[in-house]
Amino acid sequence: MRWGRGGTLRHSRLQLVLAVAAMATAVALPVVLISVGGGVSAHELANLQNAGYQIVVSAAGLHGITHAHNYTGQILAISGVTAASPVLSVTVDAFSSTGSVSPVLAEGVIPGQFTPTLGPTEAGLFPSSLPLGDPTDQVHYAHGTYSGPATYDVIVSTPYAAAHSVSVGQQLVLSPVANRTLGTTYNVTGTFGVPPTVLGPTGAFAVLLPLSDLQTMTGYGGGSAAAQDAADTIQVAVAGSIATNPSALDHLRDQVQALFPYYGVSSLTQEAAQLQSASGVLTGFYLALSSVGLSVGLLFLALVLLRRVEANHRSIGVRRALGISGRSIAAEIVWSGAVLALLGAAAGLLAGFLIVVALAAWATSAVQEAASLAVFDPAVLAELVAGVVGLSLLAGAVATRTALRMPISEALR
Amino acid sequence: MNERAAAPAIELTQVVRTYGEGTPEEVRALRGVDLTIPPGEFVSVAGPSGCGKTTLLNLLGLLDSPTSGEVRWDGESVGERTDRARARLRLEGVGFIFQRFYLLPTLTARENVELPMRALHVPRDERTRRSAQLLDEVGLRGRERAFPHQLSGGEEQRVAVARALANHPGLLLADEPTGELDSGNTQAILSLLERVRRDRGASLVIVTHNPDVARRAERHITMRDGSVVADVREA
Repeated sequence: MRWGRGGTLRHSRLQLVLAVAAMATAVALPVVLISVGGGVSAHELANLQNAGYQIVVSAAGLHGITHAHNYTGQILAISGVTAASPVLSVTVDAFSSTGSVSPVLAEGVIPGQFTPTLGPTEAGLFPSSLPLGDPTDQVHYAHGTYSGPATYDVIVSTPYAAAHSVSVGQQLVLSPVANRTLGTTYNVTGTFGVPPTVLGPTGAFAVLLPLSDLQTMTGYGGGSAAAQDAADTIQVAVAGSIATNPSALDHLRDQVQALFPYYGVSSLTQEAAQLQSASGVLTGFYLALSSVGLSVGLLFLALVLLRRVEANHRSIGVRRALGISGRSIAAEIVWSGAVLALLGAAAGLLAGFLIVVALAAWATSAVQEAASLAVFDPAVLAELVAGVVGLSLLAGAVATRTALRMPISEALR
Repeated sequence: MNERAAAPAIELTQVVRTYGEGTPEEVRALRGVDLTIPPGEFVSVAGPSGCGKTTLLNLLGLLDSPTSGEVRWDGESVGERTDRARARLRLEGVGFIFQRFYLLPTLTARENVELPMRALHVPRDERTRRSAQLLDEVGLRGRERAFPHQLSGGEEQRVAVARALANHPGLLLADEPTGELDSGNTQAILSLLERVRRDRGASLVIVTHNPDVARRAERHITMRDGSVVADVREA
């Protein structure tokens, strides 16, 4: 009886192809997760760094900062602070002159202070000088009495303006409740762009108006609630020499914290570190998730190698009988496993790349956007491939043990 | 390039080989065999199936170790050597020819012949030259690129003979080398082996059931139930 006919060879090739396919599938998953996840994290980090303000004061709870105008003044008095603006964010209903109604994110700011707290990219989305009347927001605010004249000016986001045919010069009614008659009429004096965002809270439909206007409109400023002078955050920009000096920035942050020991005060570097830490946790999670697929792929590879050893036990026996050392045979088996893993990993990298490209082209909009941010970090991918090849050596070692444990005389039977 | 290995003087002393020792399936394949094979001798080993012929051949060729007793090559005990050392001895000094040829199916005839040379790190040019010469000697010129499944049984066995001769072994061990061949191929293979033995001074041990094959040897060993029951030298 002769052995090793063409059919056996075809069967063997099929096993190899399947092993490579299994490895490719196992590698493609982490490639997609890590590249997209890493890309989104990097994008968010860049957004954070582009935000411009170096320090942010925030408080838990609904509009947790009180006396926002006064506190902003105290912050502005600190040496090294170049701009500070409280920001109050509230969702309100917008009633356009064409009769449409839509919820929008209303942000109340101090007009002359807000854009200087932004980075160049974000600031470029707004008019150079916000057309919202009093740049200090002190006239209407009137030291907490709200007795001064309001400007009733508002600027709207371009997506909202386009969707509801709102243009500069028209009027817009904003109401904290779904009732136009309880709303306040504003003059649209300008528009602003919305930065692209994947995970951020920025609404595409948004309006910007003086802080005091939003406070009175939503009831947190007027009447008995006037003392609250509420805001969600106070964004603080600092001089360039401080922004680029971590210890100086920390010192300034401490000065702000000393003013409000009861509010959270964090610097951009802290937030960036937190974001990076969160990103690291996510990457670890992705890897843990991927390890399941990788384990299955490697188990399949080990099974294929074992199957090949069993199928080729006579070939291995012949080689050993001829005097070829066990080490050479082991090296051959381990090497073939590593080559299969390498081929699988290469195919997986390609497959992962193509999946990301496909997601960026054809998935739903949010996934498309996330996929378009994917970053294929050569170092991370190289580590992934090295890990896969390293583990494949273990799979090869298992097969080798089986191959060399069988006595030669038995292998030849 | 390796030198031609001198044929070893082989000595088996009270060699016992037991498979599955201590289990219900225990088989005593060899029961205290004493045997000496001087260098260059042509020995046939005959006997009924299961009498221990192949086990004897495996022990002579260092494919197996005795359960007890001693195997000596040129006076030196080899039974207790490490697997690696025994593999080296096989590679340099032993040429195996199997009944079922056992060519590697994924290699061509030339690659099969080159396999032992590659393991011995013979330079590529030398390998190519020697494999071509060996295949020519066994009458397979022009078939170097054929895979085993493209060869006839006789051709496969001739490739196996060429492979066995690749590293100039001093000891040729053939286990039923003509068992699956017709009479024409049988005579051709035997003539080839005899010529090689004569030209190269190698020892040749053939396990065979075929009396015509055994008759060509100068010494005839007969085995039964794991023991040598007859050991006759031609006058």
